[in-house]
Formats: sequence, structure tokens, C-alpha cells
Amino acid sequence: MASLESIINAPEPSTNNPETTSPDADSNPNKRRKIGHRTVAADASLNHLHWTSQSEQQIYSTNLLRTLRHVLRRNPSPSTTASKPRQVRYAADRVLAAAAKGRTRWSRAILSSPPPFNNRRMLHKKAPAARKKVTGLRSMRNGMEKKKLPAVERKTRVLSRLVPGCRKLSFPNLLEEATDYISALEMQVRAMTALAELLAGGGSPSGLAGESLS
Amino acid sequence: MSSRRSRQTSGSSNISDDQIKDLVSKLQQLLPEIRHTRTDKVSSAKVLQETCNYIRSLHREVDDLSERLSELLATTDTAQAALIRNLLLQ
Repeated sequence: MASLESIINAPEPSTNNPETTSPDADSNPNKRRKIGHRTVAADASLNHLHWTSQSEQQIYSTNLLRTLRHVLRRNPSPSTTASKPRQVRYAADRVLAAAAKGRTRWSRAILSSPPPFNNRRMLHKKAPAARKKVTGLRSMRNGMEKKKLPAVERKTRVLSRLVPGCRKLSFPNLLEEATDYISALEMQVRAMTALAELLAGGGSPSGLAGESLS
Repeated sequence: MSSRRSRQTSGSSNISDDQIKDLVSKLQQLLPEIRHTRTDKVSSAKVLQETCNYIRSLHREVDDLSERLSELLATTDTAQAALIRNLLLQ
């Protein structure tokens, strides 16, 4: 179980889980492929269904509320810290990733990404520019043809950018990660919606309690 | 895990088409748009497209909820929060 501090503070790769890949292991392509295959295990199919359980959602809501109250209570200097909604989003994602208990790549990627920063970052702007240059060369090599990758490959690329930490994953692993990620996101939406309803004046707190009883 | 290894007989690709088809259909079950369509009628490209769209819409929802929550939590005081926590733990 991830502690509150580990979720809020500067990220460090989780060391408790034996299946977790450290940044060093990731740099070695052979090791990465092996571990990637290992994570596509039979019980991964059970994993994505556990996001639908009521207890999982309640645990998430509790942890989320605790984390958010802690995060928002601090009075950060507005110049260096990101806006409140972005902080909330960041905390919500990290609590969600922690709930995955290190079993999926997207959760590990979220937990090892840095907190949002208010300053306009150059890194963000450099990456798309670099990518543009590469594709320009590629199209020139093909005789100035329009870049026409097969549809599936194009969409796979887009998908790999949407799921955190999955840019260089093989196709089946990417699908596994996406499946789990979607289930987790759905739970996140359900939990945050319920929390917002609850806080917005307690319309029917029995609604939430009733859910837990049934 | 050993059964998976024994399936990887071909040298070029270690992944069978059936496996991919299985994963794609599992993904399709999650998508609200094409959940109930028969799997042989839906192409992989369509499933991937819908997946991307769905993930993007989920991200948007989470962003909106984050904004709502950031406003709501600013106004809630500690007593109320303790009450909420008790309700959540029930």
C-alpha cells in the first residue's frame, strides 16, 4: 500500500514490487522485452476487471480525498506550482496509479513522472519539432510521397502516446495496457464524480452509502 | 506462462494472430460505441480509433472533475471533510 508521502512527494520508482522495471532495466532493450512479455500474463485479464469492484472504488475515493486535502491545504507560491485543477489532476492520477500496485506499465510511468510546473517548459516544445524533422527526411527519401502508413499502425502510434509509458511497447502489450488503463480511468471518473456530488452539498449522501450496502 | 511460451514457435513473430484478435475483442467490450457490434464486423483500425477517442474523452472528464473538485475542496471545512470520510468508509 503506497503511503501518502510517497504519492505526494517527488517521484521515485517503486522498489517494493519485484516485477517493477527500474529505469536501468528499461534502458536495456532485451530485458525490457522480457519483462514486457512477462507482464502480459494470464492474470492481467483479471486485473482490468478489478477496477469495477465497489471496494476498489471506495479505497480510491478515501485515498484521493485524503491526498487532495493534504495537497490543497498547503499554500504554495503561485509562481512555481501549477494551477489547482492541474494539481488535483496530478494527485488523482498518482493515487490511481498507486492503486494499480505496480502491476502495469502505465501506472509505473505515472508514478515516476515529475509534478506539474508552472513555467513554460522548453522540453515540451522541442519534442514535436524534432519529430517533424525526422518525418520530413523520411518523406523525401520516398520520393516526396505523402507519408501513408497503414491505418492500424498510425492509430497504434496515437494510442501509444495516450497511454502513459507505452511509447515503445509491442502491439499486444500496448493493447493489454490500454485495456487496463481504460478500466482504471472509468473507475477514476466514477469515484471523482461521486466525490464531487458528495461535496456539492450532500444532495443524497445515502446514494453513496446505499451503493456500499447493496 | 509456460503454455504461452510453447505457442511461440514461429521465429519471426512471437505473437499469434489469435492472441491479437482476442486482445482487440477484449478492448472492444470496453468501448461504449461499438461494444455490442459483432467482432467480425469491426476492424482493428476502428477499435483503435474508438479506443483513442474514448481515452481522450475520459481524460477530458477527469480534467473537468479535477476543476470541480478543486473548487469544492477549497470551500469545504475540516468538519465536513471528516463527515465525508466517515461516509466513504461505511
